[in-house]
Amino acid sequence: MLIGIDVGGTFTDGVVLDKGRIITFAKEATDEQELSATLLKVLDRLLSDLNSDAIARIVLSTTLVTNLIVTDRGPRTALLLMPGFGLPQTAYDLAPDTYFLKGCIDFRGNEVAPPDTQEILAVINKIKEQGIKNVAIAGKFSNRSQKHELLVKTMLEENYPEASVVISFQIAQQLNFPRRAFTAYLTARTRARWNQFIDDMQEAMKERHINAPVHILKADGGTMLLETAREHPCETIFSGPAASTVGGLALTINDRMNSVVLDVGGTTTDISLIIEGKPLHASQGAKINGKLTHIRSLAVKSIALGGDSVVCNNAGLLKIGPEREGAAACFGGQQATITDAFNYLYELQIGDLSLSAEKMNRISAELDTPVMDLCREVVDKTMGRLQETITGMFKEWEQEPAYRVWEIVNRRAFRLDRIIGIGAAATVIVPRLAEELNIDYLVHQYSPVANALGSSAARPTLAVNMHADTQADLFTIDPGGIQGNLGKVRNLQLEDIKEITRRYLQDIAAERGLGEYADEAQFTREEQFNVLSGWDRMGKLFDVGMQIDPGLINEFKGVDEI
Amino acid sequence: MKPTGLIFFPAFDWAISPTHPEREERLLYTRDQIFEEGIMDLPQIKEYTPKLAEARDIARVHFCVPDVAAQVTEAHLISAGSTLVIADSLLQGEIRNGFALVRPPGHHSMLVSHGNRGFCNINNEAIMVEYLRQKYGIKKLAIIDTDVHHGDGTQNIYWHDPDVLFISFHQDGRTLYPGTGYMEELGGPLAYGTTINIPLPPRTTDTGIHYVLDNLVMPILEEFKPELLVNSAGQDNHYSDPLADMRFSAQGYARLNERLAPDIAVLEGGYSVETALPYVNMGIIMAMAGINYSNLREPDYDPTRFKEQNLETIKKIVNRQLDTFKNREETIHKNRSRGQEFETVYKNIFYDTDYISEDQTERLRLCQKCGGFRVILSSAQHRSARYYEVYCISVPAFCCDDCHQQAIDMYQQMCRQGKYDYVYLQDRIKDEYKSFDPRQEVEIVL
Repeated sequence: MLIGIDVGGTFTDGVVLDKGRIITFAKEATDEQELSATLLKVLDRLLSDLNSDAIARIVLSTTLVTNLIVTDRGPRTALLLMPGFGLPQTAYDLAPDTYFLKGCIDFRGNEVAPPDTQEILAVINKIKEQGIKNVAIAGKFSNRSQKHELLVKTMLEENYPEASVVISFQIAQQLNFPRRAFTAYLTARTRARWNQFIDDMQEAMKERHINAPVHILKADGGTMLLETAREHPCETIFSGPAASTVGGLALTINDRMNSVVLDVGGTTTDISLIIEGKPLHASQGAKINGKLTHIRSLAVKSIALGGDSVVCNNAGLLKIGPEREGAAACFGGQQATITDAFNYLYELQIGDLSLSAEKMNRISAELDTPVMDLCREVVDKTMGRLQETITGMFKEWEQEPAYRVWEIVNRRAFRLDRIIGIGAAATVIVPRLAEELNIDYLVHQYSPVANALGSSAARPTLAVNMHADTQADLFTIDPGGIQGNLGKVRNLQLEDIKEITRRYLQDIAAERGLGEYADEAQFTREEQFNVLSGWDRMGKLFDVGMQIDPGLINEFKGVDEI
Repeated sequence: MKPTGLIFFPAFDWAISPTHPEREERLLYTRDQIFEEGIMDLPQIKEYTPKLAEARDIARVHFCVPDVAAQVTEAHLISAGSTLVIADSLLQGEIRNGFALVRPPGHHSMLVSHGNRGFCNINNEAIMVEYLRQKYGIKKLAIIDTDVHHGDGTQNIYWHDPDVLFISFHQDGRTLYPGTGYMEELGGPLAYGTTINIPLPPRTTDTGIHYVLDNLVMPILEEFKPELLVNSAGQDNHYSDPLADMRFSAQGYARLNERLAPDIAVLEGGYSVETALPYVNMGIIMAMAGINYSNLREPDYDPTRFKEQNLETIKKIVNRQLDTFKNREETIHKNRSRGQEFETVYKNIFYDTDYISEDQTERLRLCQKCGGFRVILSSAQHRSARYYEVYCISVPAFCCDDCHQQAIDMYQQMCRQGKYDYVYLQDRIKDEYKSFDPRQEVEIVL
């Protein structure tokens, strides 16, 4: 049996999945201050008539780190930057306690300018004086040489052993220094609180005699073991939308269609794309408070429109959302909502139709508009905004930058096959929207809990990237920030680098308890360039990426139809 | 403020040959540098996606022999298409200026294209200029060629166009490919003085190039008042370039673009792939986007290393070209009053990359009302060993009715004669591009 728990902003949902059926379901209001307690309350309800030995796996999706980051909470954290030559220092508006250090590395990992140890000492003392205990270190091109970051780390350990240090090359090795620096900073800032949560969970599992592996859902729609997650708090952000996307996938297992997943909640609607059966990732990393990171995430757009968005008379004009004031009128709420407008217009018999009618009629009188016209306007505007967002997402996908001739020549237009509706209010909006777009739709009996279902069935993911430079005799591997020498192997070929990457992926997968998926990893990037000097080849540069894509675990074979 | 538009298209899967300077790796380190800097994430920059140019966009500028498909690969279409994306974004008001950081380059490609010359098959800037004229009705433009090599292709295309100012500064042609670009090359009889060449002595530094910019290029631009300014942005004046011998720096390039303030920059040459391009490209992007570039420099840069030795020579060149430009209208008037109907010039054009030798007879109609239309009889043996003799008629974008009608009549007459392998009519007034194969009696209209 599989357990999935999704902590959302308003509610926390949990399911127990047994073969294709949800046998237990639990829902609790989320207490933002006591996330662990909420989570465990749901877990205990799920466990109430279950033998803990029968549990194969538990997956948690939590808003803990997202909330810390979005609300800018956490201990004071220093960001030590070594940007070297290039953009001016004013370009790095990443964190309040930012310190700049000398030292410069180039794209081949060569030292262009050395760090200044006196300066580093002075900064360490300043941080110490201010009582800042969390430190992130980030250097431009540290993904090509870790030398300078390591020097600062060693000096911190020697001179300020109480400090907790994060170095950026261990967080991410892709190009983009500001994103790497910001991700390292967020990691340093949330790590202690996150580890407290993991301790709590591990303790709680022990108390409940649960031996099944416990995973955390990540922004990319995959999972990782709790223990692995200790060093990667930021990867758990935006797991809510990821849970719904994987939920959409779980409801339509094994088909290769192009779908849009519409998670229609009370206040917001999350929209994501599944292209040929695979969730679409954001081409850039996740964006937090307007700043980009290196956190791989799904391409999800949220709009402030949900089933409970209030419809009202705003000084003689119709206003739709963004507020939510409790349930829809048809369920006894005080205000007319989008759900009520759909309900009345299409006679959907949701809740008590007469209550929808009553509230809509009142606004109709106030605005002096026939009630059906009013409902029609609410429906058109809602669907208009959804359509606009969906079309915008296709466009973005079609317009993603490309750097190779074949990518431009083989560019495809996106053709949408179907809408997958999930979330409580999906039944209201999705069928109408599908009709408007003239495509199929799916709203399943499990749609209201598809997020928790998605969590329970999500498979672990892992992306490994290797960069090798045979002339400079160095290689780097992400994750883990492994850097080393190739050992003067003159004749390395792309196939060799791919093999090394594959082996690393297998090792890391085994270490992280996801060995059974290692064989399904695919190469996502294969680049090789000759390094020439004059007309002689001096070496080769390789970039190879390999990953286990998000998807569903092998035990999960789909949900029962009804 | 609006952002700077940027298309980065390194064509990582296209090369002339594996060890050719124009190879896959050329923009690799530039990619590393601009991506690591995170420049695409800045609000001052908007990244665009390339598109493929259409065959008629190419035919609007070039007589490709025998046809467009024979002269371009998809990489060329993307490179040219990228400049069109930037042009559209600019004219539609989305961006303040734009940089097409693309390869393959184009400024050695001339009006007639039998093959690759100087790493170029088609001229990206000219394709963009004619597109801008056709789509947005822009008439007067200036192209400043800042590549170390003479922009002989662009010069050839606009030689007879009084509305396109072409200024090229470059290392003296006696010391570098393509061996042209002398002070005496000043444009055709009716477009005299809107082609300006500034052959610079080898080892010219930031000081020398900025002297030319401040004292010649800027004053001429001020007088010419183009509606749109293009930088044909080669990066091989750099002190580390392996194919040339100049002493320009990344700071120098950044300052040049800040001062020149081009509406659109298009990458041309530059083959110091590791020690110059990453920094020069950063400098151009930062200067165009209004980002402070004082912290940018090459790892081995030392501002005291190069002293300008040739400032007196450069001053002389500047003064002479300034005079020529000021007296250009007088000369044009004289040429027009000669009362001659056509002026004929014979020339030979060498395609270094493809080893093709082309013979041309070029005739310009010395029109009393406009810049005149031109006719080129061109013959060359291609690499395929096939010998082509073609007849090309080019009607400029802004041309009088007389010239237009004469050109159309001439095309029909030449088609009937059947003497040539192909007869082409490039009718920029109608935006219609015809080619006729007399043997097959097939006419293709783009």
